[in-house]
This record gives sequence, C-alpha cells and structure tokens, in this order.
Amino acid sequence: MQIRDHSQSNIFHRAASGGVLLVIGLGMLVIGWNYPTGQLTQMGPGYVPRAIAVMICAIALVMIITDITGATIAKPSKIQWRSLIFVSASMLIFAFLVDVAGLVPSVFLAVIVSMLADREAKPLSILIYATLATSAGWLLFLVVLELPIPAFWRWS
Amino acid sequence: MLRTLLTAVPITLALALPTFAQDSFPDRSLRIVHGFGPGGNADTVSRIMAEQMTQGLGEPVVVESRPGAGGTVASGYVSGEDPDGYTMQLLVGGHAVAAALYNSLPFEPVDDYTFLSTLGQFPFFIAARSGEYASIDALIEAALAEPGSIVIGHSGVGSTQHLTGELLALETGADFIHVPYQGGAAASTALMGGEVDLIIDTGTVIRGQAEAGVYDILAVTSADRWPDAPDVPTVSETVADGFDVISWTALGAPAGLPENVEATLSAEIARVMAMDEVQTQIAALGARPQGSTGAELKALIERQIAVWTEVIDTAEIERR
Amino acid sequence: MIEQFLMGLSVVLQPEILIYAFAGVIIGQLIGVLPGIGAITAISLLLPVTFYLDATSSMIMLAGIYYGSQYGGSIASILLNLPGTPSSVVTCLDGYPVAQNGRAGLALFVAAFSSFVGGMIGVSILVLAAIPMTHIALRFGAPEYAMLVVLGLLAASLVGTGSQLRSFAMVLVGIALGIVGADATTGFYRYVAMPEFADGISLVSLAMGLFGVSEIINNAAKRDRTAPKIKVNMRDIIPTRAEARSLGGPILRGSSIGSFFGALPGTGAAIASFMAYATEKRFSRTPEKFGKGHLPGLAAPESANNAASQTGFIPTLTLGIPGDAVMALIIGALILNGIIPGPRLMVDQPMLFWGVIASFFVGNIILLLINIPLIRLWVLLLRIPYQKLYPVIIVMICVGVYSHRTSVTDVVLTLAFGILGYLMKSHRFEPAPVLLGFVLGPLLEDNFRRTMLIYRGDFMVFLERPISAVLFGCTATLILFSIYSTIKKHRHRETPHAVKQR
Repeated sequence: MQIRDHSQSNIFHRAASGGVLLVIGLGMLVIGWNYPTGQLTQMGPGYVPRAIAVMICAIALVMIITDITGATIAKPSKIQWRSLIFVSASMLIFAFLVDVAGLVPSVFLAVIVSMLADREAKPLSILIYATLATSAGWLLFLVVLELPIPAFWRWS
Repeated sequence: MLRTLLTAVPITLALALPTFAQDSFPDRSLRIVHGFGPGGNADTVSRIMAEQMTQGLGEPVVVESRPGAGGTVASGYVSGEDPDGYTMQLLVGGHAVAAALYNSLPFEPVDDYTFLSTLGQFPFFIAARSGEYASIDALIEAALAEPGSIVIGHSGVGSTQHLTGELLALETGADFIHVPYQGGAAASTALMGGEVDLIIDTGTVIRGQAEAGVYDILAVTSADRWPDAPDVPTVSETVADGFDVISWTALGAPAGLPENVEATLSAEIARVMAMDEVQTQIAALGARPQGSTGAELKALIERQIAVWTEVIDTAEIERR
Repeated sequence: MIEQFLMGLSVVLQPEILIYAFAGVIIGQLIGVLPGIGAITAISLLLPVTFYLDATSSMIMLAGIYYGSQYGGSIASILLNLPGTPSSVVTCLDGYPVAQNGRAGLALFVAAFSSFVGGMIGVSILVLAAIPMTHIALRFGAPEYAMLVVLGLLAASLVGTGSQLRSFAMVLVGIALGIVGADATTGFYRYVAMPEFADGISLVSLAMGLFGVSEIINNAAKRDRTAPKIKVNMRDIIPTRAEARSLGGPILRGSSIGSFFGALPGTGAAIASFMAYATEKRFSRTPEKFGKGHLPGLAAPESANNAASQTGFIPTLTLGIPGDAVMALIIGALILNGIIPGPRLMVDQPMLFWGVIASFFVGNIILLLINIPLIRLWVLLLRIPYQKLYPVIIVMICVGVYSHRTSVTDVVLTLAFGILGYLMKSHRFEPAPVLLGFVLGPLLEDNFRRTMLIYRGDFMVFLERPISAVLFGCTATLILFSIYSTIKKHRHRETPHAVKQR
C-alpha cells in the first residue's frame, strides 16, 4: 500500500531536490540569454548552454511532479550544520591567509578551526595536534616537495 | 571553543611576524610569476632564469605559475603587488595581444609595469604536409583561386598564432578558414591527420615533424630570415611585403620600482643572459637569446599593441 | 622489436639509471596518494633537476612520476572515499564500499594487482604496436571524437547507482560546469563571473570538492565513527579463487579500453577509467551489485587508468606530440636536453626510446613489489580515529589545490563544490556523473562545432568517414539494445501483475 502524505511542509521538502535543479536551469537560461545561438550547423556559443539549461529545467519539472505525487520517498538526510560551518570556515581561513601570511599560519589556523567541528575535542589536544600537523605539513610541502609557497608572512 | 581560538590567534601572529627589511636588496626570496601552465615555454624560461639568478643574487628565486585568461590573471596579480623588486613577471608576446584583445583588463598593459629586459625572441613558422604545396607562393595562389578552401589550424582563439594567421589573410587577400584547437600540439596532430591544411606555430611545435620530412616549412614570419633556418623564406620576401611577426619572452616588474632595485635586477639579468649555458638553453627552446633595455622592451610592446589592435579590428575578431 | 626492447632493458638495469626509475615511481606514488597534488606539480618542480641530468635519466624519472601516480591515487580512494587524482574517482565507487565492509586489504590488493596488469598490458602495446596505434590515433579527427564522446556519454550514463533520471540530471549539471569559461571555438566568455573562471573550472577543484570535501563534511561531526573491522592477515588480503576468476575479464577489458584512450590525444586516464567502469556494468550479469563493493567494479577502472598512463606515451614517443599537459612538460624536458621529439626519435635515439620503454616495464614491477607490503601500512592508517585524520586531509586538499595554479579562487571553489556535493548526497544525487559530464560535455561540443566548421555544416560527414560511421553504428546499436531490454523488463513486470489481478 502507498502512503500519501499531503502535509504542507512535506510538499516543500519533496519538491526541494527538483526545485533546486529548476533554479539552476533557470539561472543558466537567464544569464546565458544573450549569448548568440546560431543554428545547429553553425552553432554559436549560446546554443549548447541554452539547450542544456532547457533540458535541466525539463528534468527538474519531471522530478518535482514525480516526487510530489509519488509514494513517500526517503526524506533528504539531515544537514550537519556544525560540520558544514567549521569545515567551510577552515578552508576559507586557509584561502584568505595563504597568499598573505604564508603556509604555516594558514595551515595552523585551518587545522584548529576544522577540529572544532568535533564537539568532543579538547583545547589542549587541538593545539598540540595543530602544531604537529603544521610541522609535518611544513616538512612535506616546503622541504620535501619544495612547493613555491612562502612559509611565513611576505614582507610587503 | 572560544578559548581555543583566542589562544591560537596570538600564537599564529607571533609566529608570523614580518621581519624588518634591511637596506640591502635582496634579503629574502624573490619570485618570477608567469601566467601559463607548468612546462610551457613561459614556465621553462622562468625556471632557467630563476636557477641562475638565485646564484647571482644570493637569495632564492622561485617560479610561480598563475595561469588564466591568456596570462592576464597573472598580470593582474603582479601589477597589484608592491614595487619592491621581489616580484617579477615573465611576460610573453601574448601580453601585447591581450592588450589589444581584451575590452577591459584589471591592469594597464604598459603603464602598470617597469620593464626590465627581453630574454628571447622567436618567430612563427608556416608548415604544411610534405609535398602538398611547392612554396608559400603556391599556397597563396591556391587560396586566392578558391576562397575558403584552405584550412588553418591554430592554437586557440585570440592566441598570437591565430592572429598571425588572420594577419596573413589580411595582407595577402586570401580567404582561409581558421579552426581553433586546444594548443599547438592539437593543431599539429590535426595537420598530420589531414584535418587541416596549414599550421602557423613556433619552431618547437613544428621542428620534430619537419626534420622527419612529414612537414614542409613554407615560410617564417620574421622580417629577416631566421638564423636557425636560413633556407626558409620569409613571408615578407615572398607574399606579403613588410610582414614581421615576432613573439618574445621578457621580464618586467610592477611600476614604480626604485632606481637602485631596477639597476640591480637589470644588471643581474644581463649577466645571466651573457652566460653560454643560458644562451644554449634558450636557443634549444627555439628562441634567439636577446637582452634589451627596459625602454626598448616598452617600445616593442607598444608597437605590437598597435599592430594587433589593427588586425583584430579589421578581421572583426570578437573582443572579450 | 623484442631485441630492441632487450637493449632498452640493458640500458635501464644499470644502477645509475635504475636509481632514477626508482625515484620517479616512488615520488609518483607519493604524489598520487596526496589528494590535490598531481603529477603536473611534481614534474614541473623537478624540471630544473633535469637540467643537470642526461636525457634518458630525466625522461625515465619524469615518466615514472606520471604512471606512478596512478598507483597511489587509488589508495585514498579506497580507504577514505577521497580520490587522490581525478582518474581515481571511479575507484571510490566500488573500492570504498569494499573497505567499508571490512576488507580494505583485499581492495588495496586488487587495485595494486589490476594496476600492475593494466600497466604491463599498456607497456606491451607500446612495445609491439606503437606505430599502428599512432596511425589509428591520427585517423581520429573531429567527427570521430564527437561520435566517440556520444557513445561514451550513453554508455556511461550507467555510472550512477541511483535513479536514471537523477544521474542524467547530474550529467547535465556536469556539462553546464564544463561550459564555464572561454568558448573554444569563438573565444566567447560564457558564465565567466570573474577572470579566474576564464579558463574554465579546474577539474582538480571539482573532483576534490565534490568527492573529498563533501565526504569530510559528511563525516566530520559524526559522534561515533567506529572504524571498520580490519583484517590484516595475508589470507584476507588475497582474493578467493572465485573472486580471482571473476576479475580476469574486467582486468583485460579495462586494460584494452585504457590502452585505447591513452593513445588517443586529448583523452586520458580519467575518461578511460569511467569508460571501463561503465562497460563492466553494462555487460555484467549482475549490474545491481556495482557501487556496493563489487570487485570487478574496482579492477576494471584501475587497470584502465594504468594502461592509459602507459599508452599515453605513444603520441609523445612516436610523434613528439603531447597528449596532455603533463606530456608537454616531459617533452619540454627533452627539448632542454637538446633532443627533438618527433617521428625520428625512435631512429635517432634508440637507446633513449627503448630505454624509456623498458623503464616502464621495470617501474611497474617496482611499484607492485612496493605496494603489496605497504598494504598493511595503509590499512593500519584506518585505525587512526577519523577525528584526527580529517583536519590533515582538509589541509592536504587546500595546499594541493592551491599549488596547482597558485590560486585562492580554486580553494574557495573546491569548498563550494564540497558543500554542493554534500547537499547533493543528502538529496540522493550522485556526484560521479557530474564529473563525467564535466569532462565529456565540452569535448563533444568542441568537436561537433569543429566538424561543422571544417566540413561546412555537412552532417553526412559522420557517416561518410569509416571510423565515425562505425562509432555511429555502435551508438545506434546501444540505443536499440537499451530500448529492447527496457521493453523486455516491462513485459516481465506485466505478466506477474496480470496473474495477481485474476
């Protein structure tokens, strides 16, 4: 037997997957609207983007319809916000620091921030581990591999 | 958590305290930035120079590759860096091309730079499959007889090779079909496979096939015959008088370099360029090693920007 | 050819030369293990070293890095669901589940062995059939590439395990991402929001983000991450007789597919691994097992990417034409040593030519001998709690991606793809088809438009040229076959239904 759940919040949840896809497709279409398309035998740069965008929108609509009217589907799994935020912060810190402050500070801070995603991590162990990881990183990337990244602040 | 962060930040800052610069230049590592991928001409020449300049300057010179948008990403980055002499850029002929090709650039191609010296100059060669055309004259004749029948493969829209082909078409009145490929190697493969009739590219791309007899080199794009290939006629002496296309590699730095820094760097570059070893290496890459003053380089670039602007305007190539 | 190969072997087996072969493959393996740092970075960093070496030693070392990295790439894929190189992405699909089921050692063994066989078959083709392969490769013009990609896209739409609709949507998203950048045919900027996008989105950013970072986000905050039971005895590493028998076909097919794509300029190990996987799944009697830890799904792509990395040298050695950016570097090293790569290389420099080929033979053996004992070490790595592991991985990805183009934008982009991949996973969208679309989409568009440009809009060219016509035929057959089997499936479903209704 099929269970149909028509509760309000559920429809949005169900349509979410297709909905996001539709947004992407429409976005492509709108941004690429003015690209010259040409014809099939003399394709302009806009031909394929428009074709792909249209196909994405079409599939998105099909998905929305099948998801809403179909049997109960598995709900999208819960988003782990803590993980997401700290991993993102960690990588962004690295990105913003590396050109300015060099490899060592960037790696150090990135490791610390990423470890904060783990609820149970203790401050002291984080600092010790970060120091170890940064030293190992320095050894591997700058000494062994000799990547052209400065270790510390570039004096400018 | 807050405690952890608060402890970490001062430690990081303490470790990263900048050292105070002394009066002598240089006192820490320098870098040569270029806008192309690893292993290309720009990268190899950068590494050749970096190797030697490390010895001469007493500080490490590292090579940094920042590819993108025909070298303009690197140019945008370097022109924004401090003119302290620690950041240089390996410029190539494409710099002048970019100035003509791009509608808006994040930098000024001439004014944002202190030009140091050219390193090498090289022409392009025009090659076809062996035996197909007796000479460049025969080729142009065939092109004029049947417009749109001859296909030129080039290494990418807006590349110097592409524009050279367009310039050839303009000067001779021939109507070629220009087909873009992802790089000179792909265009050369297409020539070998019969997909295109002609390629215009550097000696490094063409030489292997030419020596094996697979390609005929019909002409060279420089104004005078190229010393390495004295039997190859120039385009100028055969089908398009005054034709002169030369690409080059050079070193530059952000504008506003202090005089003593500029003098030190220029002297070092001149010293390296005089070395036999370096000359052999640059020659191996197909270029003629040739230093210059900053002013000469600037004049060369300005001249080339004018030429390419005209080609792009006349051939109605789309600007970016 | 065999005598020349033996002569090459005598060149390689000298101690001074052997050292460079050894060094090359070790560095390559290390590079492959580290996610984000690729062969191209390593080779460009070692280029100055080649200034001081002779041509043969330089080539042997740099080449070792190239095919060595294909061995290392699978290790992180299997143990951590994190591809070490873009060509190891497919290895994650079945390699990781095998490790999750507690048989990480077996997965690593199968991967190493498949890689070895693939590499050896690649070398054999190099020795025996380099020139014929070159001729075949030269017959592939724009129409042939276009048809090949169509066939590939069709075959590989099976790569995902979820619903077909969702997989196809992901392929389209991948193609969309591949469109970003300057259009190859006209130079027109498409979806270029900032100059860093002008050359397109980097494959490394996409692969590391979609597969690596998303996996980390998925696992970082999990409270109890019980390490899978690890079996480290020799007995458990070696496959059972039945398992071993099932691997013969996939390895041979994978190696053939890999050898083909390797020799074709413009395609390489990544595409080869996708195609090999898709072919196995398509022709398997049990396609539903793929993606859940099915050994053939691990063996096929592993043998394919290694075979491809060997035959990738064919255009370089026989024509002097680099098949990809890494080969261009290697050719650069040759040029700096005064050697002009081209059709005459085999004749003018037989010691170099055959020495390098023989070094591939030796190098693969070295890699196999190193990798088997190392399996225990890698498996022990799994004992490290994930909490301590993932920060290091994040850093490795950051540094690796950054060092690629010295670009901060790339790192941020990798993060963006990581978040995207994570959200995709929670909505049951598979990431693998995205990569496939990303790589194949632009290839199809560029070659189709190039065909239209050269042959002046004449569609018939696809059928007039022999190879293209054959590929077209295969594509048509595949489509008809799929329609036929779908109809058959519907018929089967209808019959029991009808019985029920009575």
